[in-house]
Amino acid sequence: MKNLYLKYKDNLYAKFSLLGVALILIPILSEIDVLNYSTVSLVAYIVIFTIVAMGLNILLGFSGLMSLATAGFVGFGAYGVVYFSNVTGLPYELAIVATMIIAAIIGLFIGLFSLKVEGVYLAISTLAVGEIFGEVFRRVTWFTNAFGGVHFEYPTLLGFIHLNRVWTYIFLVVMMVVMMIVMHHITTSKTGRALMAMSRSKSSAQAMGVNVSQYKLTAFLIATLYATLGGVLYASFYRYVQPLDWNLMLTLLILAMVVVGGMKSILGTFLGAVIIYGVPKLWLEDLFSGIDGVAYIFSGVLIIVVVMFYPAGLIHLFDDAKKWYYQWRVKKKQAKEELIEQGGEQDE
Amino acid sequence: MNVFLQLLFRSLETGSVYALASLGIILIYRTSKATNFAQGSIGTLNAFVAASLLVKWGWSIWAVVPIAMVTAVITGIVIDTFFIRPANRVGAVGKQIITLGLIIVILGIIPWIFGVEPIPMPQFIPFSSETSFEIFGATIGYNSFFIIGLSLLLMGGAFAFIQFTDWGLAIRVTASNEITSRLMGVPTKNVTMISWATAAAFGTLSAIIIAPQTQVDINMMSSVQVNAFFACVLGGFQTFYGPVIAAYIIAFSKNMVSYYVTSTWNTVVVYLIILIFLFFKPVGLVGKKLTRKV
Repeated sequence: MKNLYLKYKDNLYAKFSLLGVALILIPILSEIDVLNYSTVSLVAYIVIFTIVAMGLNILLGFSGLMSLATAGFVGFGAYGVVYFSNVTGLPYELAIVATMIIAAIIGLFIGLFSLKVEGVYLAISTLAVGEIFGEVFRRVTWFTNAFGGVHFEYPTLLGFIHLNRVWTYIFLVVMMVVMMIVMHHITTSKTGRALMAMSRSKSSAQAMGVNVSQYKLTAFLIATLYATLGGVLYASFYRYVQPLDWNLMLTLLILAMVVVGGMKSILGTFLGAVIIYGVPKLWLEDLFSGIDGVAYIFSGVLIIVVVMFYPAGLIHLFDDAKKWYYQWRVKKKQAKEELIEQGGEQDE
Repeated sequence: MNVFLQLLFRSLETGSVYALASLGIILIYRTSKATNFAQGSIGTLNAFVAASLLVKWGWSIWAVVPIAMVTAVITGIVIDTFFIRPANRVGAVGKQIITLGLIIVILGIIPWIFGVEPIPMPQFIPFSSETSFEIFGATIGYNSFFIIGLSLLLMGGAFAFIQFTDWGLAIRVTASNEITSRLMGVPTKNVTMISWATAAAFGTLSAIIIAPQTQVDINMMSSVQVNAFFACVLGGFQTFYGPVIAAYIIAFSKNMVSYYVTSTWNTVVVYLIILIFLFFKPVGLVGKKLTRKV
């Protein structure tokens, strides 16, 4: 048993898969009325935005670059897959590929832009891109049906596997686990090390032979693809996309998931999504359902407090707790030894 | 000519709104190293104070605006004291998230205290044939003059304060290097407090100016917030006056594009122009290139 635990401890795949299995249990619990029907939708939202936030984590946590266009790309992914499936009539997988390609091109443009513009200027320039996305969603009727929104069906995989609500949910969870493993591979590969070197110091990374321009483009490309995939999955599960959801507020919430959960941490991103979206929706709103707005106040204060006391991310809480526990145990042991010594002296 | 004049005055009016908001953002960015996403929300909160007093208690607008200014200053000081200053070991991105937390808190406070209904807000000087006049066929209200004059006066006052007083000097040195100026005995804590108080007051004034165009509701400042940010990048984060100039440029070009080119896509055109401009001059209009030691 202990052997098994030790193997689990060092194996991130096992951790990701275990998380996935735990999440897949939720619709079963909901079927037997332990959990609400709506809980599945909530957790699906957390799963989708974990994927999106993982992309931003690669960009912000690993490469030190900033993007405020994330929500725009999520919205584009959602609208894109609906457009290519419903209007163009492509099968689900091809619709995803087509959406991804277009998003990747836009992402590369932002990457090229980031080669010249830096820091807070880059952040706010990407905000401009996000705002342009928002205007497009509101105004280009043939693509987004403006304020009417667009409707979609649960996806059909490979042309013959028709998914229902629960199976779409399981599909989302599987995608999340896959994307976690992909992110783990990216960040432990040469690319990940280059990105980390770049985030510490651009000049020294360059001096070490890292091609900074190429890796900046890569980082933006990865973040864009993650965000677009999140949007695709959003459209697949919720089956309705409307133009006003993809604003600065959503971008900031995704950013908060990364910062609150922990930069450079994959499971931390999931934890961040739970804290930012899950805790207010699952717990606070039930607790304060009588009074308008109090749930908001609590979740805002929660974000502020976590960032103030855990600027490195809440995922480190577990390590710290372990440390405190050991310190406490050592102290207790020392106190015991002192007591014994004192007792011994008294005996003499 | 008359259309052009009308557009010019409208641009100066919206430009003042953007300029007030962006001056607040740049003050906070320079002194406490935080990108303040809550600038618009703070303004909205205090605009609700003004509108509630005006509608529920029937006070005159000339009485409620100073009161809103006072509550704004208090809001700014509270935020700086309890949230920003204790978080000095948090990085720049962390501070952005703290201001996001502030937005969410304010989103909760507003319906809790003021209710969910939007409140209508009158102009300072209601528009009528007696309170307006014609030049070259363009009808300009006294209200526009008052707003433009007031914002220019306030911003001029702020610049004079920054440029010619001891506290202004303290603000400038804190902006240039916080740690060194603290070592030199500059009370940087008070400086950041002044910045937050001023920024909150300016944000509130811009919210009150823009309120008659729509109503006082939760989302009234979201477009102002975004445009104030664009004014900051277009003007450059290195000076205090750059964003103010850029704010007027953005408002002017938006109105011009909207009237002469396309009214549906005017914001997109202006944002694209800003992006292209930034691509060729990455530090803004009056920004200087930052050199960093390796």
